[in-house]
Amino acid sequence: MSDEEHQFESKADAGASKTYPQQAGTIRKNGYIVIKGRPCKVVEVSTSKTGKHGHAKCHFVAIDIFNGKKLEDIVPSSHNCDVPHVNRTDYQLIDISEDGFVSLLTDNGNTKDDLRLPTDDNLLTQIKDGFAEGKDLVVSVMSAMGEEQICALKDIGPKN
Amino acid sequence: MQGFSERGGGPLDLAQLQSTMHAIELACASIQMHMNPAAAEATILSLSQSSQPYQACKFILENSQMANARFQAAAAIRNAAIREWGFLTSDDKRNLISFCLCFVMQHANSPEGYVQVKVSSVAAQLLKRGWLDFTAAEKEAFFNQVNQAVSGIHGVDVQFTGINFLESLVSEFSPSTSSAMGLPREFHEQCRKSLELNHLKIFYCWARDAALSVTNRITESDSAIPEVKVCTAALRLMLQILNWDFLSSSSGAATSTSIFQIGGRQGSDSPKKSECNLVQPGPAWRDVLVTSGHIGWLLNLYAALRHKFSCEGYWLDCPIAVSARKLIVQFCSLTGTIFPSDNPQMYEHHILQLLSGIIQWIDPPDAVSKAIECGKSESEMLDGCRALLSIATVTTPSMFDQLLKSTRPFGALTLLSTLMCEVVKILMTNNSEEEAWSWEARDILLDAWTAILVPLERNGGYALLPPEGKNAAASLFALIVEAELKAAAASAFKDDDDSDYLQASISAMDERLSSYALIGRAAIDVTIPLLSRLFSERFLRLNQGRGIVDMTETLEELYSLLLITGHVIADEGEGETPLVPNAIQTRFSDIVEADKHPVIVLFSSVIRFAEQSLDPEMRQSVFSPRLMEAVIWFLARWSCTYLMPPEENRELNSRKVLLGFFGQHNQGKLVLDIIVRISMTALVSYPGEKDLQALTCYRLLHTLVLQKHICLHIVALDSWRDLANAFANGETLFMLNTAHQRSLAQTLVRSASGIRNSESANQYVRDLLGHMARYLAEISSKNDIKIVAQRPNTILLVSCFLERLRGSASASEPRTQKAIYELGFSVLNSVLVLLEVYKHESAVVYLLLKFVVAWVDGQISYLETQETAVVVNFCMSLLQIYSSHNIGKISLSLSNSLLSEAKTEKYKDLRALLQLLSNLCSKDLVDFSSESSETQGTNISQVVYYGLHIVTPLISLDLLKYPKLCYDYFSLLSHLLEVYPETVAQLNSEAFSQVLATLDFGLHHQDTEIVDMCLRALRALASYHYVETSAGKVGLGSHATGLTYRSGNLQEGILSRFLRSLLQLLLFEDYSPDLVSSAADALLPLMLCEQGVYQRLVSELIGRQTNPTLRSRLVNALQSLTSTNHLSSTLDRKNYQIFRKNLKTFLIEVRGFLRTV
Repeated sequence: MSDEEHQFESKADAGASKTYPQQAGTIRKNGYIVIKGRPCKVVEVSTSKTGKHGHAKCHFVAIDIFNGKKLEDIVPSSHNCDVPHVNRTDYQLIDISEDGFVSLLTDNGNTKDDLRLPTDDNLLTQIKDGFAEGKDLVVSVMSAMGEEQICALKDIGPKN
Repeated sequence: MQGFSERGGGPLDLAQLQSTMHAIELACASIQMHMNPAAAEATILSLSQSSQPYQACKFILENSQMANARFQAAAAIRNAAIREWGFLTSDDKRNLISFCLCFVMQHANSPEGYVQVKVSSVAAQLLKRGWLDFTAAEKEAFFNQVNQAVSGIHGVDVQFTGINFLESLVSEFSPSTSSAMGLPREFHEQCRKSLELNHLKIFYCWARDAALSVTNRITESDSAIPEVKVCTAALRLMLQILNWDFLSSSSGAATSTSIFQIGGRQGSDSPKKSECNLVQPGPAWRDVLVTSGHIGWLLNLYAALRHKFSCEGYWLDCPIAVSARKLIVQFCSLTGTIFPSDNPQMYEHHILQLLSGIIQWIDPPDAVSKAIECGKSESEMLDGCRALLSIATVTTPSMFDQLLKSTRPFGALTLLSTLMCEVVKILMTNNSEEEAWSWEARDILLDAWTAILVPLERNGGYALLPPEGKNAAASLFALIVEAELKAAAASAFKDDDDSDYLQASISAMDERLSSYALIGRAAIDVTIPLLSRLFSERFLRLNQGRGIVDMTETLEELYSLLLITGHVIADEGEGETPLVPNAIQTRFSDIVEADKHPVIVLFSSVIRFAEQSLDPEMRQSVFSPRLMEAVIWFLARWSCTYLMPPEENRELNSRKVLLGFFGQHNQGKLVLDIIVRISMTALVSYPGEKDLQALTCYRLLHTLVLQKHICLHIVALDSWRDLANAFANGETLFMLNTAHQRSLAQTLVRSASGIRNSESANQYVRDLLGHMARYLAEISSKNDIKIVAQRPNTILLVSCFLERLRGSASASEPRTQKAIYELGFSVLNSVLVLLEVYKHESAVVYLLLKFVVAWVDGQISYLETQETAVVVNFCMSLLQIYSSHNIGKISLSLSNSLLSEAKTEKYKDLRALLQLLSNLCSKDLVDFSSESSETQGTNISQVVYYGLHIVTPLISLDLLKYPKLCYDYFSLLSHLLEVYPETVAQLNSEAFSQVLATLDFGLHHQDTEIVDMCLRALRALASYHYVETSAGKVGLGSHATGLTYRSGNLQEGILSRFLRSLLQLLLFEDYSPDLVSSAADALLPLMLCEQGVYQRLVSELIGRQTNPTLRSRLVNALQSLTSTNHLSSTLDRKNYQIFRKNLKTFLIEVRGFLRTV
């Protein structure tokens, strides 16, 4: 996994840092957090104390936004956590190549050809079928900490 | 599937009966072996659903060797007979009951008890079903048979069976335990009254006589004998009858003029956990229960049993002993008009007699508790406590105390106190064990104290408590505090992490502490100095040991002490301003110097202690987050009652001193300043301590600004200005949880009500929040917003600001409305931009929507025409943008929990949107704008329909499974249809069918409330159409008449469609009987609109009925549905009522056989 990250690093947004520090106590459910070097979405936060008269600590249960794995972490609530910079961009789908890569149209008219089709069966069939039927499809690409993935699809339809 | 009906009505031959029996036996066997249970259940069900299966059932009951099959046959008799009751002949009815009765008597010694119980309950239910039809002689015949059985002339087993039958009969007639029969509530009520008036006392006497007849044999024998079973059953029946909800208890309050305040003492709001029902059977029962020596017999019986506990077959918890004790305890609750008000001795004698028997169970307390610790069963002692609770509930404190004096050197209060002290001591020594008997004993005894003290507290009459009682309360309270402190110290190092359990135990502890507080208040002149002393001991210990030794134990003790003291000195306000407790108001009346007033001394020392948390060094070493929580909680509770109490005419000196000391013109301002500074410390200096900050925001600060006169002073404080300044311009408060920031914004805005000048109040709000609105406007106009917005720090800041704006919007008051409107108005455009930018960031989207909801809710009723148009247009663009982002979107995640999260988020968004629409709706109901509503403005109803049109496609049937969303949606829909039916008529057909499809869905929803709302909507639609068309207008126009498409397909009009589905629902489906009235209200206008369709449906219904008798019944019922009680074709109130009545009778008449398979 770490090798892969390294590989993508050069392509990450120049100038914008990949993570920001944020106090653990302010991170809420549905927010983002970095656990064990992975960008995650928080699905559960609970607080407890270290001993009755000690300080509060937060217990996070979070899901890796790319591979769906569950991760947990315990942090004193006054300490800082890393929060990933999660970016989502919409592109129009132009083409699906034989080898499983997609061709996307960017805002400034260039194409982006380095993304693979998603592995999820449901989304995969939706994309393939929709494309085959000649629908205009917009895909959302989620990127964080140097990784990218297609995460949603929207049919803007032949209507418009 | 074969049916089991008796074809042609003739007798079945033996072979047929045999085959039915085998089929049922087979089905029962396969259910037991878990082989194809669905088919087996269907077989059994088809027996009870077939027409007149009685002969087959009787055959099975008499011949089957299989107990289960007999059980099912009995159940089938019950189901079929209840369903077909309307058209059974009276001979049939009587035969069924007497068959069941004879069956149980004949099989009295059968080992399968459950079949016996079932058959006897079937007999009881059928008897009840026919109760109002049978003549007195018919009932008498049944009861003669039962009486003979109960009297014992047919042997012990039959006697037992007879008593059991009476037990099921009584429980069937008691409303809370009766079984459903598809009949209105009035029927059950009539049966209950009739049984109580004519039979209940007789049953009681039968049970008593049965028990008497076997008493001698039981007391004389040394081992268990069959008669014990009879006696136990009889005792149980007597207990059940005494548990009856007697009529006189609900209406007899007026007659209770006795000096004992008998009756009416049942404080429904007292914090009691144990059940203690008053038994008030009225004067008719006096001879049986009180004057006949009945109680003496019962006590003697139990005393005899007590001697037998060493014998074989008897022990402390054997059924007969348990039943006897329960009955004795029940007698302790006997009260009301059964005791003549002119003869107080009779009541005193009654209670004394009981007490003399019970006292042996609990006295001497130390010996009793020691015996239990050594292994004796605790049930007798617990029952003794329950008896004390019952007596405490029905007597006055002074009488309660006097009771024991005739036989013991001390009063009952002292006994109660020593008993409880024993229990507390046991708790102290082994508090680790859970669910120990001492816990239960403590709860019961605490309830007894509560029962004694709550009325005193309410009437302000602690003086009524005898001095001995006060001493008892004082020593008990001291012991309780000691035990609590000891427990606190012992648990100081425990790490209880399971937070679910914690929540439950906190509320239990709260209840317990309120009971402790009552005891403490009973001896307030001892309690307050005691608490002061305990506090100062611990303060001293802290100061001496600080930094040298570990202080955790002392901290935990202080935590506990603060909670106890908070409960003793003040009541929970729950939104109201609680008064100073009576005990504290009336005591210490001789003390007029403030610095010697014990209560003031106590308060001052606690506040001085709390103030030390402002010192960083002290905070570091002493004020742990947990202790700080207790401090904040105490200050919140204290300030509700004592801080700047409203000025009033006070004549009592001591009260004046106490209330004046922390008043506006004395120390009040100073203390308020300290409290604000402590709050600020809690918010700023305890980063990440959410619980502490939640308490500070919601409990303390929130309650402070609720009172206007406190606001007047608070806005003038420098410390408050510091807080507002830190909120508006500082960064530290961003570290608070965003929900807490919202609450803080609300609090700060609300305090503006203390600013006298309206212009400066608006300026204060602008200063507070203008910076945030400007930030949002700025960021949304940036060119690179798409990049900037995605950064985590931007998201955090935007979320904080939105939450704060939302908080301030929900604090809208007329005085600050202008500023809040301007603030919101200045960010409207930014909201739309942000909605676009954050379309993938569901958390922010939700905050945006919630802000708009709160803002519209606060503003809508004040807006002028022009402003309304702006807001409405904005809301429509918001809805459109939201919908364009979400329609047809497929999100995906590898993780199931993220997927379900996404669904929940969507649900919350939609709920917010529906709330927004409802808020817009309210403009038509409440409008404070200066122009009259007649001036042409925005048509709210059209707007809301349009909005609904946008939102509806987003609401899938899946999402309607969320109960709250479903509820919101249907209440909005039914509101719209009820208030603006004319606008519906103007909807285009696509939108219209969408609305109606959901209505159809809602009609078949399982939640009664939702069906009710849909029925109301239907009524509104149909009656609108009827009234309009009667007046010669179009009404719903083409929606109602139906359309013929070019293809030739006829689309049915919506009213006839709903008429059909409503009839289908009413006649053939399951629904709650509560819905019949609203269904009638919807059905009547539908029928009037679509008379042709109704006639067609009716003739279809009649045509389907092949059986000639049933068909003629159906025709008659349909006839009387529309013609009896002078039903006319108008839609006025009276006519609706008539139709409701008609429909109820109609359904009772026909549903039974229409639903037969």
